[in-house]
Amino acid sequence: MESEDEINILVIVIDVNPIWWGQQAQREPKFTLSKCLDAVMVLANSHMVMARTNKLAIIASLYQESHFLYPSKNWKSGDDIASSGDGKYELLSVANDLFAEQIKKLIDRSKPFLVNNNLQTAIFINFSLSDINRVSKEVDAGQDMKSRILVIKAAEDCTLQYMNFMNVVFAAQKKNVLMDACMLDIDSGLLQQACDITGGLYLKIPQKIALAQYLLWVFLPDADQRSHLLLPPPVHVDYRAACFCHRNLIEIGYVCSVCLSIFCNFSPICTTCETAFKMPLPQMAKTKKKKVKTVN
Amino acid sequence: MDEEPERTKRWEGGYERTWEVLKEDESGSLKATVDDILFQAKRKRVFESHGQVRLGMMRHLFVVVDTSRTMEDQDLKPNRLTSTLKLMEYFVEEYFDQNPISQIGIITTKNKRAERLTDLAGNPKKHIAALKKAVDSTCIGEPSLYNSLHMAMQTLKHMPAHTSKEILIVFSSLTTCDPANIYELIETIKGLKIRVSVIGLSAEVRVCTILTRETGGSYNVILDEGHFKELLMLHVKPPPASSSSECSLIRMGFPQHVIASMSDQDAKPSFSMSHLESTSGGPELTLGGYYCPQCRGKYTELPVECKVCGLTLVSAPHLARSFHHLFPLDAFQETPLEEYEGEKFCEACQGELKDKRIFTCPTCKKVFCIECDLFVHDTLHCCPGCMHTDGTS
Repeated sequence: MESEDEINILVIVIDVNPIWWGQQAQREPKFTLSKCLDAVMVLANSHMVMARTNKLAIIASLYQESHFLYPSKNWKSGDDIASSGDGKYELLSVANDLFAEQIKKLIDRSKPFLVNNNLQTAIFINFSLSDINRVSKEVDAGQDMKSRILVIKAAEDCTLQYMNFMNVVFAAQKKNVLMDACMLDIDSGLLQQACDITGGLYLKIPQKIALAQYLLWVFLPDADQRSHLLLPPPVHVDYRAACFCHRNLIEIGYVCSVCLSIFCNFSPICTTCETAFKMPLPQMAKTKKKKVKTVN
Repeated sequence: MDEEPERTKRWEGGYERTWEVLKEDESGSLKATVDDILFQAKRKRVFESHGQVRLGMMRHLFVVVDTSRTMEDQDLKPNRLTSTLKLMEYFVEEYFDQNPISQIGIITTKNKRAERLTDLAGNPKKHIAALKKAVDSTCIGEPSLYNSLHMAMQTLKHMPAHTSKEILIVFSSLTTCDPANIYELIETIKGLKIRVSVIGLSAEVRVCTILTRETGGSYNVILDEGHFKELLMLHVKPPPASSSSECSLIRMGFPQHVIASMSDQDAKPSFSMSHLESTSGGPELTLGGYYCPQCRGKYTELPVECKVCGLTLVSAPHLARSFHHLFPLDAFQETPLEEYEGEKFCEACQGELKDKRIFTCPTCKKVFCIECDLFVHDTLHCCPGCMHTDGTS
């Protein structure tokens, strides 16, 4: 199976947006934030007991802030592992305690009057990547490292940061970091693209109450093991571009050669970079030339 | 280059009195200086802030690789050819990573001839496969600068005027065998606005100096393998476009990816149009794919130019990937750790700041460690601190 030297990093990003979770608790009292956190903890513990070298980080996202729940800033490995004496793997109890403690702190601190419901996923993935980057620098030569990010999200997409989000996704792709997404409520177009680009899994769970089961079955196995499993089929990803002028999704558009803005109609001047274009007459000449070339 | 003062040619100067850099601290240890040198090497990076310069985002680049007898020299390990082709593979990957809507073509030259290894195309896999195969080729005879330039020019001159036309030559030999007057060809290339750059593996050659000076390219001679890689990587970033280049709106298609599974009754396997001309390996029948919105031709990979109707097919992320060249991130300010007051944690990775220097983003004033600074500028292209402040505003 796996070699001893392989390091598997799992970064879990949870959306703890109180507005959504508050509404959820009223809609469906059976599935609350604490249930969700329990499920995440099950996944986290399972990941850590899979192999000694497996590493874990949990980030909670709240409004525009993000917090490292585990490992925490102030805790260093080998500090004071209070062994509970019941034969439990010490790291697990430490992780669980820290996790619970930090999330309590976070909820206490949050200001309930903020109304911005949009979650800025880009930021949290950014943090995860930076963290993975740091760990990868600490890894000794010769050790293999595999890392993935799991985003558990309920709130809607925020399209304001499309550029940043795409930058982050390409950075993940470059670093060979897999991105998985587990959607609790609604589909997210951005995360669908992100998972498709980085080769991760995207799943909108049909039954929220069974979250722990989905997490363990679908998101616990790493990329190698996944090829042996029968997993949910890939989703249809919409890669159509939205034009800059009307925000319509288009199939055929015009792209400015200077600033790469996308327009749905031909206009003589680019509205973004104010370049005056040549009229499309040369385009005709160009296609003719191409034909001549292919005949040769 | 030949008009430059004598001083610059003394590249040996860098190797004189190298021991003077090392200084002992109070305890007689060299560790501090060695750490400092390592730190400087890490930090070494070319900060070319283009600012508001128009870039040639759509590039058509021909790489000419010299495969003449001189490529068998063993000053690069194991020999020049293997080392060059290995670096070229990396270059091709990086090139398409940074310029997703650009194209590249490879030409080799040996035995007084030029040979087209791959045509201009936008798919890295094909080029890398060709480069891998070329490792086994024998290096014989003299290269021909004229023939390879001519071959590249024949294709590039038909490219639309709004693209950036470039030739990059990796030249190992000190001689070239040309069938006609090369200076006339240089004039023609200059007239076609093709930029020619040369990376020399042996020494400076006058004809290359003139070639690059006339066409506005760069000419460098490598010192060692590390330097070679650095020089190649300089060509990955899109170059500033010449002021006379045209701009136009280009018609592009954004095809949707249609996924069909075997269990689906309506799904019929079909050929990809891009396999029509491929000779190696039979075309494969596939189920889903990208369908050209204009003529419904099917392709398995993007970006591609439709073989049927000539429409450029891209996906929105391809365009988005080029945006970071247009909005480069400002360099962070470097300050010693002692001067910084506040929590000594890096904003991005939450790790403790241990290095002697920290980096501050000029916009959001957040601090970063050196690893994150490099990561943010080289890979991420957006500042984590600024993303936070953007969100709250």
